Amino acid sequence: MGDPSLCTGCHRCEMWCSLTKYGEINPSRSNVYVVRREPAVDVPVVCIQCGLCINVCPTGALKRDKKTMAVVVDKEKCVGCGMCTNVCPIGVLRIDKETKMAAKCDLCGGSPACAAHCPQNAIRYEVANKAAAKRRELWAMAHAVRNR
Amino acid sequence: MWYGFAGKLLRVNLTSGEFKVEELDKNELRKYMGCVGYAAKLLYQEMPAGIDPLAPEAKVVLATGAVTGTSCPSGGSYEVCYKSPLTGTWNQARSGGAFGPKLKYAGFDFVVIEGKAKEPVYIYIHDGKVEIKAAKHLWGLNVEETTDTLIRELDDPEISVATIGQAGENGVLYAALINDRGRAAGRGGIGAVFGSKNLKAVVVNGRGGIKVARPKEFAAAIEKAEQWLKNYPLGSIPTLGTVGLVSLNNSLGILPTKNFQETYFEKADQISGEVLNRKYQIKRRACYGCSFACGRYTSVISGKYATPPMEGPEYETVDMFGPICGVDDLEAIIRANYLCNVYGLDTVSTGMSIGFSMECYEKGLLTEKDTEGMPLRWGDGEVMVKLVEKIAHREGICEFLAQGVKRMAEQLGPAAEEAAIHVKGLELPAHEPRSESKVLALQYAVSPRGGCHMHPNWASTWDFGQLDCGMKEFGMPWPPKEVQDESPQKGIAYRYVALQGEISEILGACIFYSWGTEGSCITPQLYAEIVSSLTGWDVTAEELMLAAERSWNLKRCFNAREGFNREHDKLPKRFTKAIPNGPAKGIKVVNLDVMLDAYYEAMGWDRATGNPTPEKLKELGLEFAIMAS
Repeated sequence: MGDPSLCTGCHRCEMWCSLTKYGEINPSRSNVYVVRREPAVDVPVVCIQCGLCINVCPTGALKRDKKTMAVVVDKEKCVGCGMCTNVCPIGVLRIDKETKMAAKCDLCGGSPACAAHCPQNAIRYEVANKAAAKRRELWAMAHAVRNR
Repeated sequence: MWYGFAGKLLRVNLTSGEFKVEELDKNELRKYMGCVGYAAKLLYQEMPAGIDPLAPEAKVVLATGAVTGTSCPSGGSYEVCYKSPLTGTWNQARSGGAFGPKLKYAGFDFVVIEGKAKEPVYIYIHDGKVEIKAAKHLWGLNVEETTDTLIRELDDPEISVATIGQAGENGVLYAALINDRGRAAGRGGIGAVFGSKNLKAVVVNGRGGIKVARPKEFAAAIEKAEQWLKNYPLGSIPTLGTVGLVSLNNSLGILPTKNFQETYFEKADQISGEVLNRKYQIKRRACYGCSFACGRYTSVISGKYATPPMEGPEYETVDMFGPICGVDDLEAIIRANYLCNVYGLDTVSTGMSIGFSMECYEKGLLTEKDTEGMPLRWGDGEVMVKLVEKIAHREGICEFLAQGVKRMAEQLGPAAEEAAIHVKGLELPAHEPRSESKVLALQYAVSPRGGCHMHPNWASTWDFGQLDCGMKEFGMPWPPKEVQDESPQKGIAYRYVALQGEISEILGACIFYSWGTEGSCITPQLYAEIVSSLTGWDVTAEELMLAAERSWNLKRCFNAREGFNREHDKLPKRFTKAIPNGPAKGIKVVNLDVMLDAYYEAMGWDRATGNPTPEKLKELGLEFAIMAS
């Protein structure tokens, strides 16, 4: 869960993600995203594991991990067609430029590196109800700001 | 295969409009480690003595280091290295934001800029590609407008733009280069150098990333750094930003006031970090990869000083536009900071130039005849803000102010010398050299770019801060004698303080992270672990020290070749007179020469000239820097 009210736009989550997943530091190969814009907008964008992508995958490469409930990519089956990226409502799926396969947050098997290393606690791994409540809040606030 | 570094240098010639990409030599790079170390070698070898810093022959190096753009918590920095038009010395201006990391992600460790374009241009570097593009339509625009225009034009909100504003175009000698809207490579006039080359901006973006040699080991070293920084001794930096220093420094009588005439400001509580946080802060903002987020986004919502959201002000800026000018109105200070950011001005030199002119006005050296009828009274925030605007455009009296304190004093004659607070032409920053720390006094005298508290380190960490920063095991004197002591111990200690800071500079790291003790900061030993696992080179702390010493010596050689020597390592006269009031009343600098002697000796430099001896240079493998004389 990403909390823009605490984010300072440092991008450390992206660096930790790419270091954990690919052994390099490369925000463009990260499965968590920080949108930093002016004036003073810093928003961590993370996959909410909604599963819409599962339904559109033509090869059945996307499935839910039973332990973490995260949607994960099966490397044996993914052909990199990009259908999942088309349907993702918040744009957190991408086709990795080197593996040519879908890449998304798999919650690092239950201990996400981004959350463990966020210096401001702006990305947190929370229990479902608490996370849902915060998501409601953020969704509502995002729309309220637009109306102001 | 390169790890940690991109492995490439980009050379852009603005005169011919051509560029070329050069592969870096691993051994040569490792010798200097990177960033300012390697830039010092480049500029020493490629820029002969006596070149006018504003002539086409002058070169500029944009430099990143091993940790730039990595998850090393201090990796948001890049440095701009050049010969300063303000001082005529070596200069390096560090800035944070996203520019350095994105330059490296774009595939380059260094950019060398040469020549002069016929018409305004900007350089666009993205994913290994380079374009020199027309910037006629950007000339005359301020930093915000330029940045916004380029984002639209290049259709990429993720670009990082380092640009000059009107001040640089107009040749203000302390114009800054501003990246990411509010992060300044501030000191020494790099903005004027860009302006002289008809270079408006450098724009970068990249998706290349940085390869890590031993990812698991690197992650462990970074985790250690993250843990250690939880015990950081200067806790107010993250929570209040650097402005937190205003109240503290005032209570100790080390807050420069009225152009350094005093060191205590009665109304400091009106301009403190607490007030800034409570009334004007929008949010905290971090440089790329930074875990502290000392940056503040502030705005003044309404009134005559209304200002859109903008980065800053920092401690230096608050003192410069506050106590230094006698101003107690935080809104005027925020407005002045905003104008410096959008016009591209160094807030320190701008504030000091205004403070100097206010003192000269008080003493009758400047009159209303000179100032178009505008009285330059202490504490007049409105006049101060007007002056900032006029400096950027070099209007009226500000044609005069735009040259900096040293040149102004020379024109006003000996009576103004007393008020000219600079070393080698660089206006002093907001740290009081008499009372804060005597090592700092020494640093002001010898710093390669002039009166500077940050290059390569904030000297006060050692005696004022009582922090060894991991240097005890190299032989740094410990414990420090009391802050006001001026014995040779101070000179010896400065060798270690300087080299420790220089390690950050050659790695492209932010200096803030190396203030502490083992377990509470990134020591040279921890940097060695980080750099080793990142690059795959087995670098020890000793090797970092040696590379730092090379870099530090080369800068001294650069200045020596330009004619600087011991004679120029001196302090403004004011500091030999006692502080008149406040908690630090009565303190002055008496024995600078004692500290200088000890420092030169500790460095292995010639005592008479203060410059590296041929033996020392041979020992460091810098034979090419031995002068023919």
